[in-house]
Amino acid sequence: MRLTRSSKAGAVIPTASMADIAFLLIIFFMVTTVHDVDRTSVNLPLAKSREEAEKGSALVVLARDKFGDLYYMFSDGKNMSHAVNGPQDIYHEASALTYSYPGMQFILKADATARFEIIDELLDTLRKADVQKVLLLCQQKTEGSG
Amino acid sequence: MKLPKKESSSEIPTSSMADIAFLLIIFFMVTAVFSATKGLEFKLPKDDNKPPEQEEAVFIRVGADESVLVDCKPMELDEILPYLEPKLLRNPEKPVILYTDASAPYKAMIAVYDVLGSAKKESHGYKVKNISVPTQSEVQEYIQLFGTNPFEGQCG
Repeated sequence: MRLTRSSKAGAVIPTASMADIAFLLIIFFMVTTVHDVDRTSVNLPLAKSREEAEKGSALVVLARDKFGDLYYMFSDGKNMSHAVNGPQDIYHEASALTYSYPGMQFILKADATARFEIIDELLDTLRKADVQKVLLLCQQKTEGSG
Repeated sequence: MKLPKKESSSEIPTSSMADIAFLLIIFFMVTAVFSATKGLEFKLPKDDNKPPEQEEAVFIRVGADESVLVDCKPMELDEILPYLEPKLLRNPEKPVILYTDASAPYKAMIAVYDVLGSAKKESHGYKVKNISVPTQSEVQEYIQLFGTNPFEGQCG
């Protein structure tokens, strides 16, 4: 006896849900995306008890280049960070900001291995520029790290 | 002559929807930065020339070798809070001075500051409210007032 084919298998891949999946992914990325003002890679110190930075905070970066030398960057919280020469430039930029926005938070994103005297100089510079709120940016410390 | 009627489709063309959506996904994936925006809050004192008030404080010194002295006693990080607890329960406003050696690494100071800050969050029943991190210019002001660096001579 010869068997007859009861049904024909469809050759079409069902793509109806593709758009749904894609839009779900878009929503995820839109919610989680932060268009950061600074993308400098810095080896941050570790801490357990961290607090969230205020939105629009100014940013002072102290990072190491590939030769291990320290350099400074600054951002007013709105525009991308740019290189500055040192504490003197940071003082001028920070003073202008605190004059316009008193009580503005400043984030210090500094290399964990920098000597404390450099951090101290930066903190002193910010204090003289009338900065009162500083957030020392840290990486999450987990059990077994550092 | 009778013109033939064209039948218009009643469906919305959605075939390009997935392409547009995936283009948007690629854009967000490329531009997304999952940024680290968390850290330790730090309050700087005002830059006024008020003389410092004299009050007995807990003195913590972080050495160049990352060692920690609390009131001149060498301590591990996890020993700091138990040492501070009775003092802070007696006086919640007890000042804690965190003095870091100029050549110590930044991470060593952060490690101690993190321990002090952790008392804010955990239910210890006390808080380290009054943490002071003297900067070099403040130290210079002290030197002008007292003639010597009071932090350097603390532990002999």
